[in-house]
Formats: sequence, C-alpha cells, structure tokens
Amino acid sequence: MNSKSTRALAGVAVIVIAVVLLVVLKSNGAGTTSDASGKVPTIVIKNGKPVGGIRDLAYNKGERIRFKVDSDVSDEVHVHGYDIMADVKAGHAIGFDFPASIEGVFEVELESRKEQIIELTVNP
Amino acid sequence: MSVFIPVAHALVARKDLPIPAWLFAWGASIVLIVSFFALSAAWRKPRFEQERWRPLGAGLSRGLLGLPVQLFCGTIGVLLLALSIYAGLHGTEAPDRNFALTFLFVTAWLGFPLFSVIFGDVFRPFNPWRAVGRVVGGAFSAIAGQRPAHLDYPEALGRWPAAVGLLAFVWLEVVYGVSGGVAIGLSPHAAGLAALIYSLYTLVMMTLFGVEKWCETGEVFSVYFGMFSQLGAFGVKEGRLGRRLPLSAATHWATVPGSAAVVIASIASTSFDGGQEGALKSGILQTFEWLAEAGFSLTTSLRITDTIFMLLCFAGVGLVYLIGVRGMATVRGAPPLKKLRTGFAHTLIPIAFAYLVAHYFSLFVFQEQAQFTYLLSDPLGTATTDLFGTASGGIDFKLLSANAIWYVQVGALVIGHVAGLTLAHDRATAYWGDYRQAARSQYWMLAVMVAFTCFGLYLLSVANS
Repeated sequence: MNSKSTRALAGVAVIVIAVVLLVVLKSNGAGTTSDASGKVPTIVIKNGKPVGGIRDLAYNKGERIRFKVDSDVSDEVHVHGYDIMADVKAGHAIGFDFPASIEGVFEVELESRKEQIIELTVNP
Repeated sequence: MSVFIPVAHALVARKDLPIPAWLFAWGASIVLIVSFFALSAAWRKPRFEQERWRPLGAGLSRGLLGLPVQLFCGTIGVLLLALSIYAGLHGTEAPDRNFALTFLFVTAWLGFPLFSVIFGDVFRPFNPWRAVGRVVGGAFSAIAGQRPAHLDYPEALGRWPAAVGLLAFVWLEVVYGVSGGVAIGLSPHAAGLAALIYSLYTLVMMTLFGVEKWCETGEVFSVYFGMFSQLGAFGVKEGRLGRRLPLSAATHWATVPGSAAVVIASIASTSFDGGQEGALKSGILQTFEWLAEAGFSLTTSLRITDTIFMLLCFAGVGLVYLIGVRGMATVRGAPPLKKLRTGFAHTLIPIAFAYLVAHYFSLFVFQEQAQFTYLLSDPLGTATTDLFGTASGGIDFKLLSANAIWYVQVGALVIGHVAGLTLAHDRATAYWGDYRQAARSQYWMLAVMVAFTCFGLYLLSVANS
C-alpha cells in the first residue's frame, strides 16, 4: 500500500466516521422544550410523583424561570444549584419566579421524598 | 411500564450542559486535522524512550524525600483517611453534607490524578496504608532484628488486582450507590465501611507481599495515581528528585502485566459514568425494565443493569485497543503480538486523563468549594461544629460558565489525543526499524485514538439529554 492510497483510505474512514456521528447526533438531538409561550408550566404532583414523569424545562440565561407546582402532598420543593426552597401544602399550588442566572442542568426535587419533579436546563 | 430510573449521583446538584453541536463539529474536525498532520510530519527516530533525566538540587531532594517530611505527609494521609472513615460511619447520612463522600470520591479520586501529572507521584508520601505499613515494618525490624519476610508475589498477576480494584471502586460509586429506588446515591455509611474494609485488605496484602511490592502492583490508588504521574515532568529516581522529558516515563510503565487492564478500566469506567445518563441511557433503561419485569426489585435490577453495562464498557474499550494491536501485528516487521499488546498500553494514559478532565472538571471545581468550606468545618454534617468558621459557606455555581466548561472539556480531549498519538508513533519508531513500516502500523493506532476521542466528544454531546 503506498502512502497515497492509504491517505485516500483514511480520508474515506474520516468521512464515514463523520457521517455516523452526524446521524447519531441528529437522532439524539437536544430534546429540550422551551416554555417561552408565556404560559406558566404547572407540574402536577399526584401521590408524591410528577404526573407524566420528570418535566424538562429549558431557559436561556437572563430569562425568568417561572413554574407552578400543584401538589397533593405536603413537601418542600427544592431547586438545586439555585438553592431555592419553598413549602407546598397538600392540595395547594405554589408558584416559582426567579431569574435564570446560573448555567447548567439542575434538579428540582420534592426534598423529603427525594423525588425529582423537574429537570431544569439553563443555556448560556 | 412506567418506572422512573433512579439517578445514581449523590453529590451532584448541578450537571454539565451537553456540548453544542457546533463545538462537537469543531472538536472532531480539529482531532482529524491534527491526526493527518501527525501522519505527514512524523519523526523517524524514537524521542521519548529516553527520559533525559536531570536531577534537581540535592538539598531539595533531601528535604522533600527525607524522613521528617515523609512522616509528616504520612501522618496527614492517615488522619484524613481516619476522618473519612469516622465521618462516613458516624456522620450525617446526607451525602452532600458528609466529609467522607466528597473527600474520597472527589478531592482524592480526582485531585491526585491532576496533581500527579503536574508534580509527579504525590500520592506516594501521603498514601496512608503505605505509611502504616512502613512504620509497622520498621517497628518489626527494630524488635525482631531482621526485616519482615514476604511471600513471592506472583509476577504473572501483575497489576490485575489494581485493575479489578479500580473497577470495584467506580462500581461502588456509580452502580452500588443507588438506594431504594431514589436519588440518594452512595450512603456515607457505605463509603466509610468500604474504606475500612479496603484498609484492612490492603494492610493484609502488604503484610503478605511487602509494602512497596503491593503499592507497585495491587494497591489500587498507588497504581492508578502513579500511572498518571508518568505523564509529567517530575519524578524520583535513586532517591533523587529530578526532571525528565514529559511523557517519557510513561514509555516504561506498562511493562508490568495487567497494566493495559488498568488504563482500559480507567477509560471504561469514566465512559460508563459519562454515558449512563446520555449515550447509554436507552440501552440501560431497556435492560432495567426487562429485569424489573422479570421480578427483580427496582434497585437490584438497576444494579445488575449498570454492572452489565460497566463491564460492557470495559470489554468495548479493551476490544478497540486489541483491534488496533491486531492491526499493527499485520504490518511487516511487527514484533510478537504479546509485545505489541503491552508495548502500546501506555499510549492510552493521556486518553484516560483527558476523559477524567472532560467528565469531572466542573464537578471537581464546584465540589472543592464545598470541601474547603462547610465539609472541612463540619465534617460530620451535624451542624454542631464549625472548626474553621466556614461551615456556612457554599458552592458558587456561577464560578464557571457553561462555555468555559465546554472549552476545557474539548481542549482536554484534543490535547490527550495529541499526547496519545505522540506516544504511539514514538513507540512504533522504536519497534519497527523501518520508518515506513512504523508509519504504516500507526494507521491502526490512529484509528484507535480517533475512535476514543470522538467517542469522548460524543459522550459529552449527549450528556444528560
């Protein structure tokens, strides 16, 4: 094998790798749901678990993070990273409204149950 | 079936954002361009096989390697280990408030690789088990009037005990650390107990085979941190501190059997941890549900699933390396397969280090703020002590922007890639007398490196998504 044909071979390999990666990346494309529609998302808690599973909320830095937790159990809602805590009473809803100042992915939990209810993403 | 898969991390209040597609593309492109450059502009004679050792001043060596400093460092090591065990067993069960978890799994586990690369094998003087072993051995010699006798260590076993121990350590953190199907992670009590058991095991092995022999082959942390210290410029030779060509010491590291398994275990365990919530998630979820439906409890199902995937990562990384070795063996003039297999293992050390930096850099920076504020002042997390007046401190998550983290991650992978290629090419020029054949053999290692680096980028790009 001379160096030219090896280089061509390597070139082909590179293209194949790039295509595979692109395809995989596409299929895994970021599935974040932005709630910029103005409507405040409400997470309903039933029997101490979020209805519909852990909710994905995504914001850009500088926006205001707004959501409501409507719970049938009493617990403390803890926004990790931001370290914001607030009590929610059974049968009541509680609203959150704070600036998206820290970038990253954060858990929002029902603290005493260690139950994650929101995956909070703040993009730069 | 709608079961929520429990997340295994105890400490992490914040996760990294996946690297954006444009950065992924840039990273991968740079990796490929660098690789092509390496192919064309390569050197023809080995440059890293010789360390070009230059001893530092004798006074400095005497000071740093002398008995007082050794005793001092050893004492600190023993005290910190004792504190970790005590805090684990008797402190709070809240993982993020207990000294043990952050100290063992972040400060020591991630700090020592970093400092080993920069300053050399700094774990050696601080190694608590080595310190205890040497004091006990010295006392025995003084009383019995003879040096303690040891069994012959089975040389064929080499560093395999360390490789297995390495997987076990990471397994404990990321696989065992699920509790009752909720996101608690490893309990401090379990960590303390594990540290205690490991300490007893290590001291027994040191008694059987000798302190230095066990540190060289079986003691997980000595072997693991020692491996990273081979990349750096500082080392100790014949009792003298000295400087050497960076990367050069690594060329002699893998001669002990099982060394390849250690570095593969390192890459595999980081891959598993980085991929379990991203790239590997759907596979893990499916296996998990399948096991859960087969009647296992949720926790057991998850642990079995994660164990399987961790071992698959080990097999996968090993397989990629072995394919590269097999490929090289087909090039005319190749040394025997066995020699190739051990001879190129060290070329993966920079990749292993790059993986560590890419996956844990932000965790380290954030968690060390906790380590040096409230965890140091209130190690048991009982809110009753404030040793240094920093118990009310906290983590400033604004310290690193997402962009800064991304650049460090991609930068680490690219630099690790270049270092790995450099070592592989250099070894090839040593093994193949003919330059052309050496270059030809390196298409295989190039493919291996590109695979690992791009896989690393891929893991970062789908993290947590």
